[in-house]
Amino acid sequence: MKKRNPLRLAFGTFVVITIGVLFGVMTWSFIAWNANKPLTTLTPQGPNAQSIQNLVNPVFAIAAVVFVGVMGMVLLIVFKFRDKGDLETEDVMPAQLHGRTWAEITWTAIPAVVLLVVALLTVVTLGELNAEPKPTALKVKVEGQQWWWRFSYDNNDDGVYGGPGDVVTANELVIPAGREIALTETSNDVIHSFWIPALNGKKDAVPGMTTDWKLQADGVGVYRGQCTEFCGLSHANMRMVVRAVNEADYLRWTENQKLDGRKPAAGTLAAAGEEVFKGQLCSSCHLIRGVNDEKVSNPETGVKSQLVSGVAPDLTHFGSRGTFAGSIFNSHYPNPTNPVEGDIPFGQTCKVKGVPGTGLDANGKPMDEATLAKLPDCPPANVKDTLNITYASAPGNPDNPVDRTSLGDWLRDPPGVKPMAPEPEPQAGGLKRGMPNLKLSEEQINQLVAYLDSLK
Amino acid sequence: MTDTLPATIDPEGGALALPSGASAPEDRAAPLGVFSRPKTKTGWRSWVSTVDHKKIGIMYGATAIFFFIIGGSEALLIRAQLWAPRQHLLSAEAYNQVYTMHGTTMVFLVVMPIGAAFANYLMPLQIGARDVAFPRINAFSFWCFVCGGLFLNTSWFLGGGADGGWFMYAPNSGVIYSPTHGIDFWNLGLIIAGIASLTGAVNLIVTVLNLRAPGMGLMKMPVFTWMTLVTQFLLLFAIPVITAAQFLLLFDRQFGANFFNVKEGANPLLWEHLFWIFGHPEVYLMILPAFGLVSDMLPVFSRKPIFGYPFIVFSGVAIGFMGWGVWAHHMFVSGIGPVSVMVFSLTTMFIAVPTGVKILNWTATMWGGKLKFDTPMLFCIGLITMFTIGGLSGVTHSVAPADTQQTDTYYIVAHFHYVLFGGAFLGFMGGFYFYWPKVFGYMLSETLGKWNFWLMLLGFNLTFGPMHILGLQGMSRRVYTYDANYGFDVWNKIATVGAFTLAASVAFFLFNIFYSYKKSKTMEKPGPDPWDARTIEWMIPSPTPEYNFDPVPTITHLDEFWYRKYGETEDGRLVRVAATEDVAQPVHDADVHLPAPSYWPLVTAVSLPIIAYGLIFSLWLCIIGGLVLITGLWGWVTEHPDDPDAAHHGDHDPGEHTPGDEHDAALDATSDAGTEPSVTTDAETEAAPVG
Repeated sequence: MKKRNPLRLAFGTFVVITIGVLFGVMTWSFIAWNANKPLTTLTPQGPNAQSIQNLVNPVFAIAAVVFVGVMGMVLLIVFKFRDKGDLETEDVMPAQLHGRTWAEITWTAIPAVVLLVVALLTVVTLGELNAEPKPTALKVKVEGQQWWWRFSYDNNDDGVYGGPGDVVTANELVIPAGREIALTETSNDVIHSFWIPALNGKKDAVPGMTTDWKLQADGVGVYRGQCTEFCGLSHANMRMVVRAVNEADYLRWTENQKLDGRKPAAGTLAAAGEEVFKGQLCSSCHLIRGVNDEKVSNPETGVKSQLVSGVAPDLTHFGSRGTFAGSIFNSHYPNPTNPVEGDIPFGQTCKVKGVPGTGLDANGKPMDEATLAKLPDCPPANVKDTLNITYASAPGNPDNPVDRTSLGDWLRDPPGVKPMAPEPEPQAGGLKRGMPNLKLSEEQINQLVAYLDSLK
Repeated sequence: MTDTLPATIDPEGGALALPSGASAPEDRAAPLGVFSRPKTKTGWRSWVSTVDHKKIGIMYGATAIFFFIIGGSEALLIRAQLWAPRQHLLSAEAYNQVYTMHGTTMVFLVVMPIGAAFANYLMPLQIGARDVAFPRINAFSFWCFVCGGLFLNTSWFLGGGADGGWFMYAPNSGVIYSPTHGIDFWNLGLIIAGIASLTGAVNLIVTVLNLRAPGMGLMKMPVFTWMTLVTQFLLLFAIPVITAAQFLLLFDRQFGANFFNVKEGANPLLWEHLFWIFGHPEVYLMILPAFGLVSDMLPVFSRKPIFGYPFIVFSGVAIGFMGWGVWAHHMFVSGIGPVSVMVFSLTTMFIAVPTGVKILNWTATMWGGKLKFDTPMLFCIGLITMFTIGGLSGVTHSVAPADTQQTDTYYIVAHFHYVLFGGAFLGFMGGFYFYWPKVFGYMLSETLGKWNFWLMLLGFNLTFGPMHILGLQGMSRRVYTYDANYGFDVWNKIATVGAFTLAASVAFFLFNIFYSYKKSKTMEKPGPDPWDARTIEWMIPSPTPEYNFDPVPTITHLDEFWYRKYGETEDGRLVRVAATEDVAQPVHDADVHLPAPSYWPLVTAVSLPIIAYGLIFSLWLCIIGGLVLITGLWGWVTEHPDDPDAAHHGDHDPGEHTPGDEHDAALDATSDAGTEPSVTTDAETEAAPVG
């Protein structure tokens, strides 16, 4: 009998058990641990994603059966046919079996039949997913570019995306819940991939061609997405959000989006911000309708873009969005009265605990001690919640204050918080990819934050 | 020249010495008068000038392990960066380079070359050949691989690595989106490595088809040799496709062409199609050599013949054929039409059938056996189980609608690591442990080997298992970081712990090599057949003598060596018919005609990176490289394939040609295969640079 090393035996057993436990926990995660996983593919929230899930379930079940079968068989064989090391039978060799044709035919045929069933299910589902969109579907063009998404609606159904009377927005696709959305995807630079896991699988946005895709959300909610085709430096930071609202809210939202950018009241911080916007490089790439229409690239006016992709996010209604910079930052705090510690909103309505004398009035100027003293204490500070996106309640409503820290950090040094290639590249004809650091002063940043926040 | 000669360098044979009249007869003057014929059989010169398939095989393996350490370190950097959300260990820029180079290195400079290492070392032994068909092309092929790999990695010191992903999708690989030289290095390095694969493929195919020992019909070839044949055919047809694509990219990047310029009407899907027409057969040509190794090792440790040999072989061939019809499953979401998606979805599903046949035949081989769990066997069982997981996840994304959720997520990363690490690499590890005594003449420590295996199995599963869930719960591939709150933290931490465990297991392996070597000096030599193995490479001494077989055996059986040791009764019982010592070949000083070493393959190969640097930095270098290339080829063409001195065998009577003489072996083998002996009928022309 060969001597076995007990330590090694124990370690081998430990490894097998660990792997078993690992796969057990993985299975449990697959089935039951999808809550608070905003990008999970396993809890569909719309009919397209549901069709996929209806196919995934049986396929994974079959795979699980085969998995258990093969693993069980191998473990059984390893145990049953191990060389037991008996010295008496040391020289006895097992029966020499060269093969059995019936066995080969069986285990060729059975998997083939099982796969045939899977194939049929697949063909049926492919048919469902690729069916023509319904005539009532809302049509939206999705354009990917480094490293954000542009959405141009065809609200008036005239076949033109983003034409007069149509909505153009960035990073956040607002849709009516329960209605089918027919997407036409393309790209303005490299290949990207549009993916909202809760609503459907992904589809590449390829430059020079269009691809069709469908979305539909069963209920009101915010659904996260992520670009999934590697698209360069900030691929990881190219996200998007689909916000499904009810029809009435959707109509209200659409009407608001069609308006030109709001004019801030004269003399306010926001009004100063508008001047910063117009005076700085911002206005040579970003459009705020009614403010700098003639300055941004436009083949009709002959203004050339400074960007490789030719477009920067439309900021006309920036303040109505819940996220910015490729949806990697939230624009607002979730709770109107609970500012995050150390991050004080303009027009403070309560004293932040532990941060005396830092109150800011509506113009971003420090409050005098007397005014501040009259304010009630703020409730305990919130933890910054990047999971749940919140929106300014309504135009002009100071509820849900703007996240000044994130927006300020962004304006202070965009490539610092999101890697980009904003230096003019000679090999690209001097064009840039991304937003450069404009070296704004703190005052200008405050003013711009106030202005952007006012663009509800 | 024989082994008994002292291992000193011939005073007249220094590398740059002018040949004297004595060492080069008038009718066979050394070409150019620069490099005299290398003669030494030890020392570094014997390695750089070798055309011996065994030395080349060893160098392939050693170089691949060197690159494995580089690629593995890149993997550790990736895992360290992803340990926690929003870490800054690597910048986005650095991360994109590291993950691109990790993939490229592991595919082109590790898994493929380890396959080539086994093919080079083992395949000629398994078929009883003296060497490969074109020994100098073989050396050229190896040096091309080294030059390509090193060239690619010098990018780290010359402006940064490639940053477009190993798949290098256009137009992101264009000069606008990647203005550094990283992608140029990637492109040119892989073109050079592609030359290595292509010349190697021609060489090995000709070798298998023409140089088999007498009596070895195709259906008596060991499975590894079969899989090598299939693999080399895949390479032969796949490499030109990627090379063509890379030339298009080269012209775009270097000379402003518009093959992938969308503004000029290019369609980016062109690159995707070209890449994956190469890329999918590539997957199979990485895995099939490991399948071959397992098919040869399992019967040894089960002490039963492989179950269903013809089915094992033909399922491998079927995988090779079907592998050409599935490439667009990488492109289900790319915007190809629904009909294409459906067709490729179905073809992909059905390639699972021959793969499943292999798995089931392996388990049937073990069934009823008397299993010995030596380290190679553990790795074989590891491959069977881990590859099954990879195969099953593969089936889940052959289902195209499911794939639209899974593709480009960590689920795919999990899948192909289970296939390529759990499949190919575990098989290669088994192969290392199994063939180590044959190659180096000493056994690797079993104790360390078993720790190596269990640690590797643990680390591997901890690293890649959690990625299944990460992917299904939405973590994208190729992201340099992720945010908290997406539920990715826990699984990423487990994966990082696993990666470092895996690194420890590799350290065990490397330590084992040195430890066992040191130990072996005081231990008994393993002898020709330490495992009671089946195929003919085990009947020759360990380490393999330079001449391989003397005499070359005549083959009557699959598992020829086994049936020289054992006979089978009617009811399938084994009886020993001969002691191993009686049927194994003894160590003796054979004076056998062997291909002569040469420096020219190395010179020719070295010209290629010079030209490549020239394309990137200065066209003048191209001219220098071109001159080196012409010199190399000129020297090669004018150099006689045989060393006139070494070829003279004083005691070798031409009338007593053994079947071992490669000349005759070639003739025998070709007539046996029923083909015209078109290439290798004459030893004189054998090493001619036709490739």
